[in-house]
Amino acid sequence: MDILANSVALSRMQFALTAIFHMLWPILTTGMAIYLVIVEGLWLKTRNSDYYHHARFWSKLYVLNFGIGVASGLPMEFQFGTNWAPFSEAVGDFFGSILGFEASMAFMLEAGFLGIMLFGWGRVPPAIHYLATIMVAFGANLSTFWILVANSWLQTPAGGTFVEGKFLVADYFQAIFNPFMLNSVLHMFFATLETSLFVIGGISAWYILQKRHVEFFSRSFKIVLAAAIAVAPLQIFIGHLSAEQVYHYQPTKLAAIESQWETLPAGQPADWTLLALPNEKAETNDWAIQIPQALGYILELKPNLSEPVQGLKDFPPENRPRLIGLIFYSFRIMSGIGFFLVGLMLVTAIQWGLGRLKPGVIARQTWTLRAWIFAAPLGYLAVETGWIVRCVGRQPWTVYGEIRTADAASHLPAGEILFSLIGFTLLYSALFIAALYFGSRIIRKGPNLSLPIPGVEVLPSLELPTQHQPDQRPLEAQQ
Amino acid sequence: MDPLAQFLPQVWFFILGLFLFLYVLLDGFDLGIGILSLTSSSEERRSILMTSLGNVWDANETWLVLMGGALFGAFPLAYGTVLNALYLPAVVMIVGLILRAVAFEFRENANRKLFWNWAFGVGSFLAALGQGFALGSIFEGIAVDAAGHFVGTMWDWLSWRSILVALTLIQGYVLIGSTYLIMKTTGSLQLVHFKTAKLAAWTTLIGAGFITISTPILSDHIRPTLFEPPLVFIFLGIPLLGIFLIGLLLQSLGKQEERMPFILTILIFMLSFVGLGLVIFPYIIPPSVTIYQAAAAPSSLVFMIIFIGFLIPIMLFYNIYNYVVFRGKVTLSGEAE
Repeated sequence: MDILANSVALSRMQFALTAIFHMLWPILTTGMAIYLVIVEGLWLKTRNSDYYHHARFWSKLYVLNFGIGVASGLPMEFQFGTNWAPFSEAVGDFFGSILGFEASMAFMLEAGFLGIMLFGWGRVPPAIHYLATIMVAFGANLSTFWILVANSWLQTPAGGTFVEGKFLVADYFQAIFNPFMLNSVLHMFFATLETSLFVIGGISAWYILQKRHVEFFSRSFKIVLAAAIAVAPLQIFIGHLSAEQVYHYQPTKLAAIESQWETLPAGQPADWTLLALPNEKAETNDWAIQIPQALGYILELKPNLSEPVQGLKDFPPENRPRLIGLIFYSFRIMSGIGFFLVGLMLVTAIQWGLGRLKPGVIARQTWTLRAWIFAAPLGYLAVETGWIVRCVGRQPWTVYGEIRTADAASHLPAGEILFSLIGFTLLYSALFIAALYFGSRIIRKGPNLSLPIPGVEVLPSLELPTQHQPDQRPLEAQQ
Repeated sequence: MDPLAQFLPQVWFFILGLFLFLYVLLDGFDLGIGILSLTSSSEERRSILMTSLGNVWDANETWLVLMGGALFGAFPLAYGTVLNALYLPAVVMIVGLILRAVAFEFRENANRKLFWNWAFGVGSFLAALGQGFALGSIFEGIAVDAAGHFVGTMWDWLSWRSILVALTLIQGYVLIGSTYLIMKTTGSLQLVHFKTAKLAAWTTLIGAGFITISTPILSDHIRPTLFEPPLVFIFLGIPLLGIFLIGLLLQSLGKQEERMPFILTILIFMLSFVGLGLVIFPYIIPPSVTIYQAAAAPSSLVFMIIFIGFLIPIMLFYNIYNYVVFRGKVTLSGEAE
């Protein structure tokens, strides 16, 4: 096979593989960190021990994911040097600095306070512990910020010029605040938050359906639902803004997302292709289901576009992305999931309004709860497909319009990359299986509601809220 | 040369040296303890070893990520060329670090711990091995063309000398791991690590002696630096001071002091590190590319100093605070539950 001797293709495969696997873990930890800040805050405010036990229980899943996230992320940073040395040299002045900021400002903050957050309950005062939890969440989300700054810059390079293939920075702030930056950061921020919310919600729904700790988990379920009411629609809105930006800044990617071969001239009705079978050889779609005028409404909220949508045929073949079908369907999976989650949120919010989520009756809403369990992995799928659209759609460019992927790769013997690619494939597959196995073990084991509450011995016992002690819980919640 | 274009790369050489030193010191005892865990006689002892690292290992490892990011930004050419040349050692190190990192969580949750015990120990060994070969390549030199791009082969980093450098680094990690455990443990476990520390002190001394003697003989590119006054006096002084410190260390181990061995080991690491830094400077891709040739534009270096430089004291502060919170002997009460 050709591809096994092609070091650029192998380096791309390795980067894609490590990125797709690595992402699975930080997606959950960055969003869940915010959730942990919320429950610990609720605990400090209400002194209700349930919230304390929520903080302890979910942080077990948090640390499992964090450990694998750190480990699986290491190859990402080093690959820029090992597999993409010409790229590193060309854009290191800016891109490398940003990775340095991520490590120093964000990652170090998260790692430095994690020990106190996990093991420091009895060792530091509650306020310091809460500060540590906040710093962990702040650090995690600052990581998202810097990584998305770096990636957005690859999509819309700004703030300097390429001289003889090397990027010279003229204005760092212009480069950081490149055209894609703000929406990309927000889109990813809401993506991690939304994914985490539906994971926590799905797991809570599972316990409620199992009739284990129903009252306890209906608390987390409602916190998640309240957050989802705000987050899920906002995410669609930000996603829409991102798509508009692609339309303006990356015409080849937009054409690939829509599998649009012919140019749609301005002022004409712009139909939207719902489903299609793209045929790259014949430069057309073998079949397609189209919705009249919908693309006009999607991009500009009117039937006829004021700017043309360029078709793929407008660009020479060497400047078009490959794998049109993958990009086309990835985009549809991502946005479909976005709308599904909004729908699920709406249905559940209505049930909440009707009083059907009270601890006594919530376990009877079987279909809603099952839908939440089904929704738990969907956020991951949406994020992965979204990144496929973002990065496969950017091809053949590593830095859009400036550096081709083929010129960005190190000259390495293909065998050397094949060796590491096979190694990473085996290792990451094993990690993935082990993470699922140990994650489900933690979930099946359930929360430990008998953990001593820090600071309780100094409080007079009469003032303690006792109605939530495990031995006084309703029978169904005790097991 | 423009004074700024000379000064800024030197500042970043120093900052990177600091990050690397903190990494070697902190992840050094992490990795050393991992390697030592392969010899643990019981599950309980292994648990104590891993618990002693639970709250610090990922912060310690972050210094490597930080070093990588800062090297990428400050010396992009060196980042690409060095990692390109060290492809296989880098992959071995990364795989080792991954195995070791996940072992913490998976072992905690597993019923049968044997596999994850091995992942922790072997992972630590592989990570140290990869780093040792990278260090060895500094003595061997990296083949580059006029533009500073790697032109060697995929096995350039492997030689009998780099194997000895790698083994010495592993011994050094075992030494600092042992002295850290002496500080953090009690009873029979502590006694075991007095023994491992003594053994590692001797093997490290032999390895360091070999590197010190062989470098001026075998490394053509380093020899001129070593024999150039006034540095020649420093290079005579460093091995003598090193032997003196190892003597103190052995004496302190003999007296079964608890903290002194760790402090002396840190001093030994510091001394070797200063020696290494003086040998390399001003090169960043030995033996031919200097920090001035590989540096990013001065504006980038200033920009990074503003963002990273001012954070260094803050990072140090909360990392030290973390150690202060968890000071004292390791207990197996399972605080994390």
